[in-house]
Amino acid sequence: MRLYEYEAKQIFQTHGLAIPNGQVVESAEEARRFAVQIGGPVVIKPQVLTKKRGKAGAIRFASDPDQAFRESQFLLGMTLKEEKVSKLLVEEKVEIDKEFYVAITVDYSSLKPVAIASPLGGMEIEEVGQENPGMVKKVRFSISKGPTEKEFDELVSVFHQTEQRVMKDVSEKIYRLFRDYDAEMVEINPLALSKQGKAVALDAFLNVDDDSLFRHSDLVRPRGKSKEEFEFEQNLKEMKWKYIEMDGDIGILSSGAGITMAILDLITMRGGRPANFLDTAQMDADGIYKAFSLFSGNKGLKVLLVNIFAGLNRCDDLAMGIKRYLTEKQLSIPVVVRMVGYREEEGKNILKEINIEAIQSLEEAVEEVIELSKGAK
Amino acid sequence: MSIIAKSSTKVLIQGITGNAARLHTKNMLDYGTKIVAGVRPGGGGEDVHGVPVYDSVVQATSKHPINTTILFVPPKGVKAAAFEALNAGIKTIVMVAEHVPLHDNLGILEEAEKRGALVIGPNTPGLISPPEKTKLGFVPSQYFMPGPIGVASRSGTLTYEIVSRLTLNGIGQTTCIGVGGDPIVGTPFPKILQFFEKDSETKVVLLIGEIGGTREEEAAEMIRDRKITKPVFVYLVGRTAPEGKRVGHAGALIEGSRGTIESKLACFSEAEVPVAETPADVIRIAKEILKR
Repeated sequence: MRLYEYEAKQIFQTHGLAIPNGQVVESAEEARRFAVQIGGPVVIKPQVLTKKRGKAGAIRFASDPDQAFRESQFLLGMTLKEEKVSKLLVEEKVEIDKEFYVAITVDYSSLKPVAIASPLGGMEIEEVGQENPGMVKKVRFSISKGPTEKEFDELVSVFHQTEQRVMKDVSEKIYRLFRDYDAEMVEINPLALSKQGKAVALDAFLNVDDDSLFRHSDLVRPRGKSKEEFEFEQNLKEMKWKYIEMDGDIGILSSGAGITMAILDLITMRGGRPANFLDTAQMDADGIYKAFSLFSGNKGLKVLLVNIFAGLNRCDDLAMGIKRYLTEKQLSIPVVVRMVGYREEEGKNILKEINIEAIQSLEEAVEEVIELSKGAK
Repeated sequence: MSIIAKSSTKVLIQGITGNAARLHTKNMLDYGTKIVAGVRPGGGGEDVHGVPVYDSVVQATSKHPINTTILFVPPKGVKAAAFEALNAGIKTIVMVAEHVPLHDNLGILEEAEKRGALVIGPNTPGLISPPEKTKLGFVPSQYFMPGPIGVASRSGTLTYEIVSRLTLNGIGQTTCIGVGGDPIVGTPFPKILQFFEKDSETKVVLLIGEIGGTREEEAAEMIRDRKITKPVFVYLVGRTAPEGKRVGHAGALIEGSRGTIESKLACFSEAEVPVAETPADVIRIAKEILKR
């Protein structure tokens, strides 16, 4: 779960990292008042979850309160990567001598956490790494012990000698953050170094592992979504389902990420357009009923493909779920069911009662839904 | 022969009194798995389908020869359970739970490596060796039969779909292993390939991979560099999937452009590894290789 910059900065501050003097505002007038209070130039940043704010021209500078008002008006109501801007972080403009990069994340290849530092901050670190590999230092370390003195020293060896002490201090602090917040990634880019050698986090990135949120329940709240979307997602999360809407017209209901990806591939390769990716936990009659309710809300659907491969669950139980939904509620689109596995005959017989002829072969079922999706045009 | 799950494997079930654990203990026993003990703190003295239950792993290991444990505990309890098993000297741990916290998982894998122990999972249905009549976990055994193919997969449900077709076509398996769906797992493809390479009964290896991570690429490099000499073929899914949430910045930083479908296909092509596009392709390629 990714935090907003201002949320991450509050946490950074409690961990002893310096951040610019700033305030979160929701109106241009508030921004003007804060700029008056600062009495100098300010930077205004929309609080959204995309990392590409700078590239989108959405980080604005203002030299006086009136300009702060105008820039805030411009930013508020903007939409960045489908997220409407409703909050801005207004901060005093910090005197910058140098801009550095520092992060801690997980190296999925070596199965170890890795600390990364570079004196070339403020840019895309991937690009820096490709163009100047010598300017990016990566140090992998033990999760149980944390980086040793020597490892911290190695990390900050990428900086000038006079900067190493302060950078070591920053690195130790973000390591604490990484552990305390079960982070997938903590990143400061850029970290400003003032002429006096003081380090200030100009940006703050903190991504908390979703599977650890039970240890950080205070952080769970809507981000970048309407209340309805958030509740919908929390609901799915409680059921341990993953649901991603796509812009096609073929709904897909099948449990398991792997098989669902395989079905998306089959449909797309044969010229159909999938409407969603849904990864459910193991299905039972109630689950399949709930999943049908999920699809009933999608008006763009032309057909629904249900794939049942019963290993640990039972075809007849799942067929009962489908029957119950279709007799209690209305679904205006055709439903194609592919069903194999445990108690397959019993399941097929139940579906016959509601005039659904289950298909044995996945490929045939895929052909059928593609035809139906095109014929319904 | 098979890998990891063998008829000589002596199994402990941690968290044996839970509903799912009871059901799958029964299924595993019926299939032939030698389950010798279970653990449930406070549950010592009970039995589950005839399997004696102990309060702690050490109590169980002092009474029975145990070399493998399966953790049927909720994600929050996985780290403590895994450390208890490692501290008791158990060398193979199967972690079926999904949603194990990332840092817990890293800690378990670090400790296991230090102790020379093998971790399967997390987020895996486990593994099954039809020739040995042994399964560790909850794969539905009716779709499997003994034969020459070793299968390793990142997805449980897709494994059942594919392996059931192999079985229908008379192509049996030495061992089928779910390596786990998480980005961090104890026995990723490169490690499993080494196991299959050493197993005399395995003639062909099928990897069922997907987008994200770089394990497919690493496996391809091992094959290209002739570290694996047995024929390997691959079924890759996610060609058309929306970008997964784990495939993001952090991974991109460390792996460069690896992890995409294009990168995986290019690596397998360079290693001259056949790649199936559909389930039907898998069967066709398997038959071709076995005919040679």
